[in-house]
Amino acid sequence: MNQFKFEGRQKSLFIGMMIVGLICMGLTFVSDDALHTRFWTNYLHNTVFFLGISFVLMFAYCAFTLAYAGWFVNFKRIWEAYSQFLIVGLILMLPLIGGLWMDYHHLYHWNILEDVANDPVLLGKSGFLNKWWYTLGTLIIVGVWYLCARTIRGYSIAEDNNGGDTSYSEYVSIKKWAGFFMFFGAFTSAAMIWQWVMSLDAHWYSTMFAWYSTASFLVAGLSLTIVTIIFLKDKGYLETVDGNHLHDIGKYLFGFSIFWAYLWFDQYMLIWYANNGEETVYFQTRIQQYPVLFYGNLLINFVMPFFVLMRNSVKRKHGIMMFAAIILFFGHWWDVFMMIKPGALHTAHEALGHHGDHGGSTPGFTIPGLLEIGTFMGFLGLYLYLGFNQLTKASLMPKNDPYIQEAMHHEVI
Amino acid sequence: MSQNKSKEVLFGLYDDETDLMDAIRVANKEHLEIDEVFTPFPVHGLDHLLHFEESRLHIAGFVYGAMGTLTAFLFMSWVFTRDWPIIFGGKPYWSVPAFIPITFELTVLFCAIGMVVSYYTVNGLAPGITIPTLHDRITDDKFCIAFNTNGASAQDIGNMKDFLSKTGASLIDSKVV
Repeated sequence: MNQFKFEGRQKSLFIGMMIVGLICMGLTFVSDDALHTRFWTNYLHNTVFFLGISFVLMFAYCAFTLAYAGWFVNFKRIWEAYSQFLIVGLILMLPLIGGLWMDYHHLYHWNILEDVANDPVLLGKSGFLNKWWYTLGTLIIVGVWYLCARTIRGYSIAEDNNGGDTSYSEYVSIKKWAGFFMFFGAFTSAAMIWQWVMSLDAHWYSTMFAWYSTASFLVAGLSLTIVTIIFLKDKGYLETVDGNHLHDIGKYLFGFSIFWAYLWFDQYMLIWYANNGEETVYFQTRIQQYPVLFYGNLLINFVMPFFVLMRNSVKRKHGIMMFAAIILFFGHWWDVFMMIKPGALHTAHEALGHHGDHGGSTPGFTIPGLLEIGTFMGFLGLYLYLGFNQLTKASLMPKNDPYIQEAMHHEVI
Repeated sequence: MSQNKSKEVLFGLYDDETDLMDAIRVANKEHLEIDEVFTPFPVHGLDHLLHFEESRLHIAGFVYGAMGTLTAFLFMSWVFTRDWPIIFGGKPYWSVPAFIPITFELTVLFCAIGMVVSYYTVNGLAPGITIPTLHDRITDDKFCIAFNTNGASAQDIGNMKDFLSKTGASLIDSKVV
């Protein structure tokens, strides 16, 4: 079966998840502090998380294409489908952009202009951290990402319909767009993650942050790919994707979990070693006031995959791969949670006049609460609904891809 | 091929890897015990046909790695807290983050060296040892199936020869290695 059918049961499940998400977001909004910090951080967190996953899946797709990789093409439609979420992510960013201009959220300290005027650090950064950059950057950059993702998918589908001509003109076009996307995406994704997430701690900065968060999104994206592949295989689709493909994605999952831990540790150790007050405060806050988040992050995202995914034979077993992928997907959602919440809470406390962070836990900030999980479910439902909907629009097997034979005979020893 | 005591080998050379694979399928069907197969390049699916078990080298690798981790971490902990405590840059004596890179390096080093030594030992390889080849062209363009004929009866050897000639071996010979 090459034509994916989006069953009514799956549709109602995802719509149900979206309804749960909306209810949870509503409950968060009414039970929140005066600035609705919990609501807006949840919104930002999930939007950036799913936008990031869409971006890295497109990025991986382009990197594989440019590297003449053939083994992934019999499941590449999954990546194409998920990366179409970029436009929805862009729309979801609009309320956050509007909040900068109309002041209905207080996420970013650099947007409080009277504070910036009296703060030499923020004043020095104001050329980049300002609402114009945030607005135009998000609109133009994510817009171009989506344009690339859409064009590449268009060529990929055209390749199916036009019948593989001997000059592979669609494939050549995909390559050109992939080259542009890699170049453009690599630079601009760093700028956008600084704007969206790193600037929540407006005084803090880390040159490793973009790498670190991209690794996080990539592991989450690969987890989602594995879950989707196993799900589709259980439904009887993707017959040609077998243990060998799963083995290779499993290696990516394992390898990038280690890579993520490497970057996590590097960022921590360099800041710990240099011991500059304006840098260490980031980790001091997290270790002292968010210990469960901080150490749990490392446990879920490094120790678990390191021991679970190490053996070769494990990477071919559906059950254990599903388990590891789901935990890692949640784990990297947790990681982004930790990037966002402490900084935003600090900004909100200052804006509300609580000077100095007090210890103790704040619901929805110290660890994810039920409302956070519910919001996550809502966004996940939306993401999967749109992704599955995209999957129905083309054959799951790109039958005229020049590498399709290589993918079907992929063998990992 | 590196056992100390010499062994008699009957071997046949094939021109093509598909001939070789077909011959091995026939041998499996006839329950002939193939001693070794030599190819000039890795042939896909050969390991399945020959029923090779999964290597245990990586388990040894994990153990060596864990030894490296413990060695590095415990040694540095002992040096900087008991043996010769020094304050570096105002950091505590037992500065775990500073130990991690070295712990990582020693893990990789122990793992790599241990695995190389294990691999060489198990296969009887060492610097300076020459491994006799059955035929020079095995390293060039021929594919070889070899039978161990130590203690085999004349009838068995006849069967093996028949097998080699009927599956299309271009050269059949025997040698003591």
